[in-house]
Amino acid sequence: MNKKTMSIFLLFIMLFSVILIYIYFNLSTTEEKQYNGSNETISDEDILNEIDQIFLDEDSEIEIGEMV
Amino acid sequence: MKKILNILIVLMIMASLASLALADEETGEYPDEENEPEELGEGNLDDETEEEIEIMNNSLGAEIRLLQLEKAIMKNILIGEKAVEALKTMEFSISNLEDILTEMLLLIEEVQNANTSSNDSVQIYVDLKMDARNLTKKFQVTIEELLDDEKIKELRERVRELAGDELETYSKKIRNKIRQFNRNQLYRLYGIIGETDILLIDEYVSGNFSLDQVKLQICKIINQMTKEKRYQIFSEIKEDNIRKNIQAKEFGENIHSDGKGKPQ
Repeated sequence: MNKKTMSIFLLFIMLFSVILIYIYFNLSTTEEKQYNGSNETISDEDILNEIDQIFLDEDSEIEIGEMV
Repeated sequence: MKKILNILIVLMIMASLASLALADEETGEYPDEENEPEELGEGNLDDETEEEIEIMNNSLGAEIRLLQLEKAIMKNILIGEKAVEALKTMEFSISNLEDILTEMLLLIEEVQNANTSSNDSVQIYVDLKMDARNLTKKFQVTIEELLDDEKIKELRERVRELAGDELETYSKKIRNKIRQFNRNQLYRLYGIIGETDILLIDEYVSGNFSLDQVKLQICKIINQMTKEKRYQIFSEIKEDNIRKNIQAKEFGENIHSDGKGKPQ
């Protein structure tokens, strides 16, 4: 009886690990924040990030490689 | 019972192997950042170029990118000329290098003659940038064939003292054009916000206010608004940015499929 309980317990641990691995590899790649409605809080950083993308950096340069 | 344990062990090993395989796939998706930027060839638009063409849906944006490209080529020509001068004193054969520099000078002419209002300006920019990269690489490889690592290091030190004055004219011109571009963007942004601070725009264009100060000022205005209005403005800005990204990506995909492309 004890051995049976142990094997069921091990099976649960294994399933749990598989689920954790699945969640880690599938959800960690969705970096983009989702905003679903006006109830979501938008931080100053979020706004600044979007504003940053509107403008061009005055010192930006085009990279074509080094001659030497 | 032994059988059950054996099955469990096998299953655990399989689960570990699966997680390892998944981890390998994940890391395989990202290129090594320490490597040199990818070679830009037909049917291959790198992330950097994709970002650069985002602003080229209007002639001012196209003008800025072509001017920046012209500056980058000119900088490399000046460095190349210095390298050739140094090699001359070392009595090396430099005819190949001089030919590459002549080709680069011709490329500058092509960049200057490019029509920024044309529908093909993005394609022209991508092609010219590809040529500039290839010529730079060719020059670099030719030097590597002539000199050993120690001498290349020495030469690199000598050409590094490049007079910035010759490029300063370009820098000023580019900065002015970027300010004009940012001024237009500011008007668009104020259109979304619903109020316009002309004084702030004038101060920025004349150089009295930095871009960072302008951004902070706009953030301040948005922060003073109600939560709903903030959300509405944020959504509109985000939507605009996403649209720009998609346009550039679409163009990149067109390049992937047939080596040509046209911005919408």
